[in-house]
Amino acid sequence: MEEFEPKIIGFFCNWCTATAADLAGTTRLQYPPNLRPIRVMCTGTVDPVYILRSLLLGADAVFVGG
Amino acid sequence: MKPRIGVFVCHCGLNIAATVEVSEVVKAIEHYPGVAHAQDYIYMCSDPGQELVRKAIREKKLTGLVMSNCSPSLHERTFRNLAASEGLNPYLVEVANIREYCSWPHQGDKETATKKALTIIKATIERVKRNQALVPLIVPLQKRVLVLGGGVAGMQTALDIANGGYPVTILEKEAYLGGRVRQLERTFLTMESAPDLANEMIDRTLKQPNIEVLTTSRIENLSGYVGNFEVQIRQQLPWVDPARCNGCEACVAACPAEVPSTFDRGLTTRKAVDWTPGERHGDRRIFLDHAACLRVTRQENCTACREACAEGAIDYPEDRLIDRTYGAIVVATGHDLYRKSALTEYAEDPDVLDALQFERLLSEDGPTGGKVLRPSDGKEPKEVVFVQCAGSRDPDKHFPYCSKVCCMYTCKEARRYREKVPDGQAYIFYIDIRSTGKGYEEFVKESVEKERLLYLKGKVSKIARKGDKLLVLGGDTITGLQVEVEADLVVLAMATVPNPGAKELARLLNINTDPYGFIQEAHPKLAPVETLTAGIYLAGTSQAPKDIPHAIYQAGGAASKILSLFSRKELVHEPLVARVDQEICAGCGYCRDNCAFQAVDVDPIRKKAMVNEALCEGCGACATACPSGAIQVKNLDSKQVFDMISIVTQDYSMQP
Repeated sequence: MEEFEPKIIGFFCNWCTATAADLAGTTRLQYPPNLRPIRVMCTGTVDPVYILRSLLLGADAVFVGG
Repeated sequence: MKPRIGVFVCHCGLNIAATVEVSEVVKAIEHYPGVAHAQDYIYMCSDPGQELVRKAIREKKLTGLVMSNCSPSLHERTFRNLAASEGLNPYLVEVANIREYCSWPHQGDKETATKKALTIIKATIERVKRNQALVPLIVPLQKRVLVLGGGVAGMQTALDIANGGYPVTILEKEAYLGGRVRQLERTFLTMESAPDLANEMIDRTLKQPNIEVLTTSRIENLSGYVGNFEVQIRQQLPWVDPARCNGCEACVAACPAEVPSTFDRGLTTRKAVDWTPGERHGDRRIFLDHAACLRVTRQENCTACREACAEGAIDYPEDRLIDRTYGAIVVATGHDLYRKSALTEYAEDPDVLDALQFERLLSEDGPTGGKVLRPSDGKEPKEVVFVQCAGSRDPDKHFPYCSKVCCMYTCKEARRYREKVPDGQAYIFYIDIRSTGKGYEEFVKESVEKERLLYLKGKVSKIARKGDKLLVLGGDTITGLQVEVEADLVVLAMATVPNPGAKELARLLNINTDPYGFIQEAHPKLAPVETLTAGIYLAGTSQAPKDIPHAIYQAGGAASKILSLFSRKELVHEPLVARVDQEICAGCGYCRDNCAFQAVDVDPIRKKAMVNEALCEGCGACATACPSGAIQVKNLDSKQVFDMISIVTQDYSMQP
């Protein structure tokens, strides 16, 4: 059986998580590519509907970083 | 109009290309709906790379760009400017970050990384399809500066800005200008008189027509943003009218409230109504210290001074609240010394002084008229021990940092002591001598030789009273011996700490402090005079311990940043702000209640939400709160996010 690879949607705050993700890249921190990033200006803009929509469309998890 | 989007995929040398199959990505994306042009290049940010983009915009009549390269923090501005120069609105350009978010963290997995890059690019294309051409907002700039603190750093900043032609207000919590320098006797290196130095600067400050000085004042409230800070100032109006006071001191004699003088650091007392400290200062006048007055401390209706005054100069008006708008703010709130009582191994004794108390003993306008006499019995001390790093460089019990100025001022104080008491002996316990500065090492060397200062490398473990002497126990790490000195007086070079209230002020200004309460600069190397809040700058020891020259450098730095800010006609604000669809808005006000920036309000007559675009930071909290979707952030509305979600929830593949 194929190993389960969760599909994770990430909402990144422009001012913190997006910068942290930049730093993770710059320092060549390796992490699995399952996470699909969407950069937003602030997690305040992450409407619960965005999370529900992601789950409805097949995401296994949603990460909100802010 | 059908979108004609250009997708540019950068190799970034091998930074992207080693992990992401760039040519495969281009092949997959060129037939994607809405894409009119797709191209890769080794360095898209290079001149030839940018030329490719320009050419494509012109020849393919592109309506939007998806720059697939490094983080937007690096080149978003580059490519937006490029688009603007080709007549394409810069807000139709978005970055797909396939380096930091993809090639770098997934180096071992070429296949998935390539697919992920494609997903990121496709999602960005969907966003750009609904992006709108926007124009930056023009925000007026109030060319007026508020300086918090009237010490040398604050005065220097104010003078530099005022000499540049802009009005400055200095807020000083004390009744007089001059800060810590006013308390010193001499300054090290040149050994010039500190009161003269402060006086000269106070004089220039008071005479500069562009500077307004508000003493016994503090900031009460702050809102707004760079260019337009709305500030509320609380000014304690002087209870002694300087215009009417003739200095007869009848009020001083009548005043029942006697308190330790903070200026003389408890070595003398003063009446609540008394002269401003420092006889040598030209701005000297009688003032009533609210913090000491019985009317404030005990809520008593004492009017002794008013009754004693023949000139009718005394009254007790309420504080005045002043509302002002400033374009920039400078924090120059200075420092204090760590409290002696924190060092429990050293006796609490009248003859154990901190360095500022010793400065007062040396000062001509101090408690002893400049004679070095010990506080306990008024005798001239013949053996004086100076203890450096008292609380500094002690990570276990006190502060890990070096207070930077103590090595120099201790040397100066010991030298002054020897000049005043030629038959006296000065001992200095030190960990290291840090005399890094132009002429500093030479100053220490010269003082040691000329004044036969006895430096002992080691820490003092105990100070205890022994008869009319103080027994100082310490180690000398060079000889490896224990040292015992029977001293007449001990001077502790206490650690430099921020002024009390710095943390509270930082909270009010929405700026950060470091773990010790010093104001945090925006970047320790590249932005040492800025804070992370645009328009708020730093000068002097509020940021870190420093000596007078360094405080002056920083003051000049802050002033030049502000003068460069003010050289613009107006400020430009990102247009990525909230917008209200007036047709849909029902005026419920949820957006207003959720806005952290007070940028949204509801028009009471039309019952519609309105956005103050200059205040809006585009966070989108209003959009989330809106029950009807009437308020949306420009260029990241819910339709755009939904489209992006539709892309990123698909399985990774190389299908367009």
